[in-house]
Amino acid sequence: MIEARGLGKDFGAVRALDGLDLDVGEAEFFGFLGPNGAGKTTTVHILATLLRPTRGSARISGHDVVRGSLAVRKSIGLVFQEPTLDRDLTVEENLRFAARLWDLPGRAARARIDELLRQFGLAERRDSPVRALSGGLRRAADIARGVLHRPRVLFLDEPTAGLDPRARRELWQFIRDLRAASGMTVFLTTHYVEEAEPCDRVAVLDRGHLVAQGTPAELKRAAGAGSLEEVFLARTGRPLAVADAVVAPPGRDR
Amino acid sequence: MARAVWGIVAREFVRFLRQRGRLVSSLARPFVWFVFAGAGFRALFAGPPGLDYPRYMAPGLLGMVVLFGAFLAALSTVTDRDAGVLRLLLVAPVPRGAVALGKALGATLLGTVQALAVALILLPAARLSLTPGGAALALAAVVLTSLAAGAVGLVLAATIRSIENFSGVMNFAIFPMLFLCGAFYPMRNLAAPLRALAYLNPIAYGVDLLKHALLAPWSAAGYGGELAVGCDFAALAVFAGLGLAAATPLLAREGGVTRAAFSGERR
Repeated sequence: MIEARGLGKDFGAVRALDGLDLDVGEAEFFGFLGPNGAGKTTTVHILATLLRPTRGSARISGHDVVRGSLAVRKSIGLVFQEPTLDRDLTVEENLRFAARLWDLPGRAARARIDELLRQFGLAERRDSPVRALSGGLRRAADIARGVLHRPRVLFLDEPTAGLDPRARRELWQFIRDLRAASGMTVFLTTHYVEEAEPCDRVAVLDRGHLVAQGTPAELKRAAGAGSLEEVFLARTGRPLAVADAVVAPPGRDR
Repeated sequence: MARAVWGIVAREFVRFLRQRGRLVSSLARPFVWFVFAGAGFRALFAGPPGLDYPRYMAPGLLGMVVLFGAFLAALSTVTDRDAGVLRLLLVAPVPRGAVALGKALGATLLGTVQALAVALILLPAARLSLTPGGAALALAAVVLTSLAAGAVGLVLAATIRSIENFSGVMNFAIFPMLFLCGAFYPMRNLAAPLRALAYLNPIAYGVDLLKHALLAPWSAAGYGGELAVGCDFAALAVFAGLGLAAATPLLAREGGVTRAAFSGERR
C-alpha cells in the first residue's frame, strides 16, 4: 500500500528526514513512533503530496507521490495535527464542502454524510457551527471528513493531540470501528508509546532516521526490552519521553 | 473537477452571507463616499453641463465596491491558510489550478453581487440612466474586473504570511489601487509617471469600462472612458490570466501550511 525508498527532505540546511525506507501492507495498522521533531509530519506531508521529497521516492497504491499526485490524493484520507474545518460553517456544511472537493455526487454524498454523522455521534450537532463544538467532537468531525470518500489509506497525524482521556478513548473506538468496517490501511503518527502498542507494525523514527521497524513484539524481543519505550531507549540511547519533553512546544496538552 | 470548483465558490458565498458586518459595511461604504465626498468635492469640480461630482464618481464607486468585494474575498485565502482549510484544498484530488480558479471565481461572484446590489441604489441616486447596451457593458466590466482583482488578490494572499500584515496590505495595495484607478478624477489629469503606475492597476481598466458604460453622454467633453473598450477588456483578461497562473504554484507552497507550523515540527 505504502512504499518508500530512500526518502529524504531538507529544509534549507536542516536535514528533516533521511534515507527512509517503509513498507506498509494492505489493511495494516501501522504506527510511526518518535518524539516531536523526529520528521513524522514531514513524512506524512510527503506521502500526502503536500511536500516534494528532496531525495528518494514513495508510492501509494502503486502511484508515485510526485508524478501521480492526483491519483495518490484520490486514494488517501488525511487527518492532520491541526484541524482543517471551517469554523464558521456547520458540521454538515463542512462535510458537504469536502464531499464536493472529493467529487462525490449529491445523493451519495448526503447518504454518506448521514451515515458518518451517526457513526461519530455528531447527528445532533450537524447544524452547529464547528466553533461551538468541543475539541473531541471537532476532531471526530475532522476524521469523518477524512474518511468521507472511503480512502484506501488513512493518515492520522497525532490525532489525539490536545484531547482529554475520554475523547481519546472515543476516538480510538471510532478508528477501530472504521478499520473493522472498511479494511482500510491506517498510518498513525504518534509520540505516545501506548498508542503504538496496538499497531500491527511500528516504525521508530528519531531525528529524521528510522531506528527500528517491525511488530511491537519483534521490536521488544530484538532490543531485549519490555516496552516500546525501552526499545526507543535501547536504539537511541535516550528515553522517548525526555526527548519529547525537550523538543515539545510549550503549552501542548499531553 | 467542476464539482470541486463549485464547492469552493459556494463556500465563499455562504461565508459571506454569514458575516453580517462585512455585508453591511461593504454595502454602506460607497454611499458614505457618495454623500460625504460627493458633497465636499462638488464645489471644486468643474465638469461639463449635466455632470456634477457625485454623478461623475458613480462608476468609480462601483469600481471601489469591486475592489473591496473581490480583492478582499481573495485575500481571505490568508485566513484559510491559518484555519487549515487551504491544506484541505491541497490534499483534495483536484489540480492546483482548479483551487486557484475556484477561489478567483468565488471572489468574482462576491464582487459582482455586491456591485449589482450597490448599483441598484447608487445609479438612481446619481440620476444615471442606462441604455441596454450600457447595462450589458457595465455588467461585463464588473464581472471581468472582479475576476482580475480576485486573481491579483490571490497572488498577494499567497505571498503574505499572515493576516497581521493586513494594515500593510491596506496601505500599500488597497489604498493605492483605490486612489490610482480614475475613480475620483480623470486619468488624463495625472502626470505621465503616475499614470503609468495607475495602468498597472487592474481596477483602472474596470473603472474606465464603467465610465464608457455610464458616462457616455459626457465622453466628448473628456469625462467618459479614456481607453478603447477592447483595450480595457484585453488588459483585464491579461491580469486575470497572469494572476491565476502566478497564484497556482504560490498557493501550494509549503503544503499550504504556515511557516510557524513547520518550524514547530522541525524543532
